[in-house]
Amino acid sequence: MKTLLRSPALYIAIAVVIVAALLPLWVSAYLLGILTVAYYFGVFSMAWDLLFGFAGEVNFGPTFLIGLGAYTAAILDNEFGPPIVVCIMAGAAVAVLGGLALAVPALRLSGPYFGLVTLVAVLLLQNAIVIFAHWTGGEIGMTVPDVLSIDTNENYWYALAFLVVCAILLFGLSRSAVGLILQASGQDRIEAQALGFNVTKHKIAAFCISALFSGVAGAMLIFYMGTASVDTVIDISIGVQVIIAAVLGGRRTILGAALGSIFLILATEFLRPLGQLNTFVVSAVALAVILFFPDGLLGYVLRAGERE
Amino acid sequence: MNAPVRLKVENLVKRYGGLIAVKNVSLELRAGEIVGLIGPNGSGKSTVMKLVMGVEPVTAGTITLDGTDITRWPSHRVARAGVGIVFQHSRPLHRQTVLENIKLALLPDSLIRLFADRDVDTRARAIADRVGLSAVINRHPSTLPFADLRRMEMAKAIARNPQVVLVDEPFAGLTLSEVATFSDLIRGFRDEGRAVLLVDHNVKSVAALVDRVFAMYLGERIAEGTAEEVMRDPTVRRVYLGGEITASHKRGEAATRKPPLLTVEDVSVLYGKAQALDKVSIHVGAGEFVSIVGLNGAGKTTLFNAMSGLVPYSGKIAFDGRDLKQLTAGGIARFGLVQCPESRELFGDMSVEENLDLGGQHLTAARRREQHDWLLELFPILRERRTQAARTLSGGEQQMLAIARALMMDPKLLILDEPTLGLAPVILEQLGRALERLREKSPITVVLGEQNVTFALPHADRVYVLEHARIVWEGDPVRFAKEMGTGYL
Amino acid sequence: MVGLQILIDGFAISSLYALGAMGFTLIFGVSGVLNLSHGGIMAIAAVIGWLAAGDLGLGTYLGTLVGVVAGLVAAYVTYFMVILPIQRSRAIPRDETEIFILTGTLLWGIMIQVGLAWLFTDNPVTMRPLIDGVTYIAGVRTPKNEIMIAVICWVVIGLLWLLVNRTPAGKRLLAASINPRGLTLLGFDLSRIYLFVWAIYGVLAGVAGVLLASFLGVSSASAGQLTASAFSIVVLGGLGSVSGSLIAAYVVGYLETITAYLIAPTLRPIPALLLLVLVVYVRPQGILGRR
Repeated sequence: MKTLLRSPALYIAIAVVIVAALLPLWVSAYLLGILTVAYYFGVFSMAWDLLFGFAGEVNFGPTFLIGLGAYTAAILDNEFGPPIVVCIMAGAAVAVLGGLALAVPALRLSGPYFGLVTLVAVLLLQNAIVIFAHWTGGEIGMTVPDVLSIDTNENYWYALAFLVVCAILLFGLSRSAVGLILQASGQDRIEAQALGFNVTKHKIAAFCISALFSGVAGAMLIFYMGTASVDTVIDISIGVQVIIAAVLGGRRTILGAALGSIFLILATEFLRPLGQLNTFVVSAVALAVILFFPDGLLGYVLRAGERE
Repeated sequence: MNAPVRLKVENLVKRYGGLIAVKNVSLELRAGEIVGLIGPNGSGKSTVMKLVMGVEPVTAGTITLDGTDITRWPSHRVARAGVGIVFQHSRPLHRQTVLENIKLALLPDSLIRLFADRDVDTRARAIADRVGLSAVINRHPSTLPFADLRRMEMAKAIARNPQVVLVDEPFAGLTLSEVATFSDLIRGFRDEGRAVLLVDHNVKSVAALVDRVFAMYLGERIAEGTAEEVMRDPTVRRVYLGGEITASHKRGEAATRKPPLLTVEDVSVLYGKAQALDKVSIHVGAGEFVSIVGLNGAGKTTLFNAMSGLVPYSGKIAFDGRDLKQLTAGGIARFGLVQCPESRELFGDMSVEENLDLGGQHLTAARRREQHDWLLELFPILRERRTQAARTLSGGEQQMLAIARALMMDPKLLILDEPTLGLAPVILEQLGRALERLREKSPITVVLGEQNVTFALPHADRVYVLEHARIVWEGDPVRFAKEMGTGYL
Repeated sequence: MVGLQILIDGFAISSLYALGAMGFTLIFGVSGVLNLSHGGIMAIAAVIGWLAAGDLGLGTYLGTLVGVVAGLVAAYVTYFMVILPIQRSRAIPRDETEIFILTGTLLWGIMIQVGLAWLFTDNPVTMRPLIDGVTYIAGVRTPKNEIMIAVICWVVIGLLWLLVNRTPAGKRLLAASINPRGLTLLGFDLSRIYLFVWAIYGVLAGVAGVLLASFLGVSSASAGQLTASAFSIVVLGGLGSVSGSLIAAYVVGYLETITAYLIAPTLRPIPALLLLVLVVYVRPQGILGRR
């Protein structure tokens, strides 16, 4: 704790948050809207990084968990109309169940096999949504009657606050004793067990935590946008964006994932004049980063101590 | 010996499919003693350790810790019950400092305790101090030298004060002075009243440290007693040395005057931080048969892999006038330096015929047929098994196929790495005879790496002894029998 | 009669699936790479083939050939620009190479998809049939093109089998998938073997892409779906097992066709996906999986 309070990084972070909170004073509503979405994506990426960086599991379909949270909340709101908070909690619960469903094969498969399973999960969800179009609006999507707020600034602050809270929780977890055990479980299962840790228990917990944050963020995104569709929360390309953001920012840094997401979404927006090609350029840049700077932006900075 | 029995293993059996790795092993480990579990590769000693720790499931038998049956317990439960293990290869968390790595070992297995107890830090520092890591406590593992990484493994193993400590190959990769320090550390564990089980290939290196030795071979106990008793045991000697050492003057004299076909100069190999080869220099003349003798883990395979271009090395290796660093691994084999590795590397799902055929791909069709027919004559058993999948052959047959396949390449120099490992004496005789005929019929140069001295000596023109990554002796077989014979173990 | 219709249609689509999946699994078996831009390579072959046949006026047959060559080129570009750099990179830790390859090829696949859409729009391209007209098999009206496609698929599969089992080069491929170190020790440089296997892969993907364009039509948007079905089939059949992929392709192809005809066309991909889930939970190594 003491080392934290003395570290300059903390004060930089606080300064950044304050500046972000004051942005509505200078910045257009349009840009605020982009940033709002970016902040939710930041939480998606941080949740992914916790699972990958700390539990060592590569989830190629984070949108499975996000989508479960989002659509559960949306359907619940449409069918029964409970308060938003209840919908979000329901979304979170279903997402956690989804996380458990993924955890089971994860414990028995390794590497590429598990990655493929996660991709399959997304495909299944996508198809399920199209089939049960009566409830989900199918490929077109659905609208939700309630939203978080109709004021741009309020929405922005909700998103920022949510991001900051999640960042504190996830980052704190990653640096805690439990985070250390998770890292050990992900890096070297046999050694972690030989040191007395029930790796299975910890990995399942990691899946559930990642699912919880993904599900809540997904639900909140829906209540911000007022709509839910396959293209916005389920499609594989969304999942890829989440992963790229985390890799760009730096695997296993948690905060890097949030930064990466914001950077990626702003960059895509900035390149909008290129039309469809903006995805191409962003993907190309991401590929280049993977090839030449696999540690990512923050990762490179934070890993200085590990190099001789 | 009134000390309580801490660990008791009874009739332990471990089967991997058709292979029985551990056959009915029973042993006891008491508080305040160091027991050495000794055996060559494939003896099952590391498997026993893994079974005790719960890393692998037991097929049959029981393991008792202080009276509690821990046979089917998962690793983490065994660890919490008071067993610490130091694995053969260091397993640090690379992104954490030394202090954090040790702290991890002190943490409880909890999902909710976010913050470690206040005393974890103090205890971790004390442990680091005990093993000699105080100076590097805030550094990351990738910046540490090999010995410090091993120290960290020891620190993690004893962190929670286990009553039983298992150490797999305590001295592998350490220099002689480091071996002394580590021995003191381990003796310290014993003096604290812990029960220590060491696993090693080398009786000699642990002889000074252990109170008792339990020798294994092919999954079974072959001897038990003090270090001296075990080293003198005839079964143990046969397993390690292969039997009586007989040697005769071969073409030794003439061979040394030939120009060297292969020169290895000051070759060193690092596996991560471990020094697998330390400035090794040997030379082999055209037509010579050179045996490189040494226990498992001495560095023979590393040396051969360096020659075959499979591992990076410093130093120079020249073969038939060329610097091998300029060729790819495949290129080296095509150039005439062919290795038949310890692991054989056969294509299991392909037939004997197909395996041989792949070996002969670089020859002309006519030459290939010639070589093929000659080899089936040299190893007649392969003719019978021509269409069988390589995977279905017995150990001895697979070895013969591996050698035959290597010979299909018509090499100038053939490296044989531990061909006798796990083979019955009858097969060894066949193999020996085949090698004799090989040398009579062709001018081939052979480098044989063996632990089994009885097999290695009769064919050799010259002998090198490799120990702990260094060449420690060179000479002809007769001198070897006289000088090294008894002290070899 | 519906049953016979299902039998014939299912056979054609399964043969196409088989071709696509076998290439995917071959690359994994021999070089350990899971290429998630697989659909993109097929799409490139289809689009270039269509361009060559139509806009460049080369006609259907020559256009098809050009398409296959395009597939080959696309495969090599993928290998040299995405996969090899990741495998050789010293900045990426050994145990994470596979994950980086998955992510890298996924990104590359997206780049191909978007690039194709931008250059050619994402309207589906349909190659003109190789043979026009219809014929009647036991009373079922079947386009001759469909039969031609199934025949070509099986000719290619047959050639592949001959290559792997009867030629020295093919035997080396097989050996590389069993034991790459053994092959090095026998004097073969793996780099050349990999070049060879990527060439075969490119041809397989190219043929599959062009034929698919002729049968159902291919668009840049289908690239993702194509990759998805290829790896579903491959996981079902067992990663690394070429014969497993063949069998799984037929299982999936027929499941889809039966669903489309007897239940509802929109539910087409569902049974295969459910089967996949079952396999993943019960027998993760697939039907004939080895690794």
